[in-house]
Amino acid sequence: MKALVYLLITQLKNRILSLKKKPAMLVLYCFVLALIIFSIVMICISDKEKSTMQFADERILFLIIAGLGLFFLYAFTTSGLSTGASLFTMPDIGLLFVSPISSKIILMYGLITTLGKALLGSIFIFYQIGTLKTSFGYGFTEIFALFIILALMILFCQLMSIGIYIFSNGNSSRKNLVKSILYAAIIAILLITLLVQKQNQVGTLEAILSVVNSKWFGYIPVAGWSTMFFIGVVNKSVISILIPCALYLVMGILIVSLLTVGKADYYEDVLVSTEFTYQNRLAAKEGRNISRKINRKIKVKKDNPGIGNGKGAMTFLYKHLLEMRRRSRFIFIDSYSMFIIVGLGIAGYQLRIKDASDKAYYIALALVIYFQYFATMMGKLKDELIKPYIYLIPENSMKKVFAASLTSLLKPCVDAVCMFAVFTVLSGLNPLSGVFFALAYAASGAVFVGMTVLYQRLLGGQPNIVVQIFIGIGILFLVMVPSIGASVAAAVLLPKKLEFLCTLPYSLFCLLFTLFIFIVCRNLIDKTEYTGKF
Amino acid sequence: MLSVRGVTKKYGKLIANDNVSFEINQGEISILLGPNGAGKSTIIKSIAGLLKFNGNIYINGNENKSISAKRDLGYIPELPALYDMLTVGEHMEFIARAYSLENWKERSEQLLERFELGDKKNKLGSGLSKGMQQKISICCGLLPNPKVILFDEPMVGLDPHAIKELKSLIVEKKSEGAAILISTHMLDSVEEFWNSTNIMIEGKIAARRTRKEMEGSGEDLEALFFKITEGDRINMEVDK
Repeated sequence: MKALVYLLITQLKNRILSLKKKPAMLVLYCFVLALIIFSIVMICISDKEKSTMQFADERILFLIIAGLGLFFLYAFTTSGLSTGASLFTMPDIGLLFVSPISSKIILMYGLITTLGKALLGSIFIFYQIGTLKTSFGYGFTEIFALFIILALMILFCQLMSIGIYIFSNGNSSRKNLVKSILYAAIIAILLITLLVQKQNQVGTLEAILSVVNSKWFGYIPVAGWSTMFFIGVVNKSVISILIPCALYLVMGILIVSLLTVGKADYYEDVLVSTEFTYQNRLAAKEGRNISRKINRKIKVKKDNPGIGNGKGAMTFLYKHLLEMRRRSRFIFIDSYSMFIIVGLGIAGYQLRIKDASDKAYYIALALVIYFQYFATMMGKLKDELIKPYIYLIPENSMKKVFAASLTSLLKPCVDAVCMFAVFTVLSGLNPLSGVFFALAYAASGAVFVGMTVLYQRLLGGQPNIVVQIFIGIGILFLVMVPSIGASVAAAVLLPKKLEFLCTLPYSLFCLLFTLFIFIVCRNLIDKTEYTGKF
Repeated sequence: MLSVRGVTKKYGKLIANDNVSFEINQGEISILLGPNGAGKSTIIKSIAGLLKFNGNIYINGNENKSISAKRDLGYIPELPALYDMLTVGEHMEFIARAYSLENWKERSEQLLERFELGDKKNKLGSGLSKGMQQKISICCGLLPNPKVILFDEPMVGLDPHAIKELKSLIVEKKSEGAAILISTHMLDSVEEFWNSTNIMIEGKIAARRTRKEMEGSGEDLEALFFKITEGDRINMEVDK
């Protein structure tokens, strides 16, 4: 026991001390901490003021929690059916599992470290304090409840995944049973939603919101429990808070018992997933892009034409096209495209039936651009920068950077055409506005690719995902302010007939800014170092 | 052919290479020896143009980051870096196209056959073992017929047949007039064919010998390595 306490404390201490050697990370942590403290203080102060503001429908937030819960439920159940989940790391397996320490104590250690990680991972909720306050009028209690429920969901789902793995490993009929329950539950929820829609004669969104807000939904594992807990906190209903807590606790105890009761040996059960997680982490450290890893088996025909085209730097373009063809039959249209096309289509339809104002259409455009920022964080150029070839190939740096970025520049164009064609049809937007919306989306994509080049040139590498989320988007917004301002001014000044042109200043600025970045960073490959990782 | 002059490479306060200089001539195999962390991989990466450094590196008289220098250079990294979504054959095609090579198909076939990859041309990079990936990495590095070749721990992960084939390829390339630099820990594997050696410790060249010099003095490569590396440790302990 003492050894595990020592291990926990020493690891924590060393992690904190290692920040001395990473001043940038230290500054980032301090910045984020200061921001969170500032937000909490502001919330506490503004809590005392009486607000007369109109807030958004809080059922939207309940829906987000339910959606996240359902996603976790699906993802962790699926991983439970294949590799399971792990509360441990490879050093734990190598050093702890073989040590003369009780496996139950080691399990406790695993649970504590996972809970710690889950709490740390959920801290970003506090970053949303401002949004939650202004949108829903929530105070510290509600935001803290969100933080707790998110951490609890992560911890419980890890445990559930191990439980499912132990229950179904090597037994196909049990696996099928778990799968059947999962799919039956999903289909049941969908059918009930359709039924509610038909009975109450309401729109799809209204029907989904009603289902999520209903009492029976609160008893669905993870998604329902978490939603019920949060609704309980919002409505100050002690019973609604206690029931999901009890359900989480009872189910958690049951799974832990499954792991430890009798001769149960969980070491073997967590081994596969620990190795799997370790391989993924190693791949991430070495710079291999695991986010794009595809699970289906790719068959290469014997008469496959190969790259088939390109010479010199342009070979990168054709290689990327081949890689994209292997990942998706429709080359540029991948799962992200499908998700965003469907999402924007639904939003467009809702805007039409609700007869929304023009502003709402621009908000939809801003939202898809915002999502695109995160999708572009794993661009093709980044993949090349972590392999030595782009540095070794005897071609001009500018040509190589441009050729390696071309597919990343083309993808938003293809996405934009597809998604705004659907959006225009379903929302009833003026087709000319649709064209200029698509141009704005594609131009934003170009800036995001440009930012990848700029990061590499200025920082000698890509900032990590946390930095990109917290600081990168802030810097990007500052850079874009003049163009957004110009577009807002155009919207005010232009006559109604020419309103479709109001995104044009923004688009032009984005394209010019991207061109400027590419020209300034033309010697990127000669001036940066190959590190083999992000 | 390869000239390294006063190269210093720092990572923050750590000096990975400290004023390193050496030359490798046409038809010469030079081996870079040294304990872990001596700076061998860093100097090789600097020569390959992958790192920024102070000093000068010339490949066939051209500054190492120039296009002409890159055309003459072959680099086989310590860890194979393959594309998951390209097959073995497509890796060769990629290199051939990117280097604008002519009549490369026959050479590609020969290289793949030598490393027993002929029947794996349609296998994706992601589905290969570490050893096979290393073999493809070697084939990719040698396909453009480089005049200066850098090998960073090339034998690690290879099976005995591939080691034998690689050794004979190195000797062939030497006889074709290539300047070859090999960083390795496996002294036995290079014993038969090396011409010169540089032993590195703490980022510096601690000793330099040619085969002729050693044969004249009766020194043995392994004994020299331990004398230099462990002697250095002893000296450092005495200094303390």
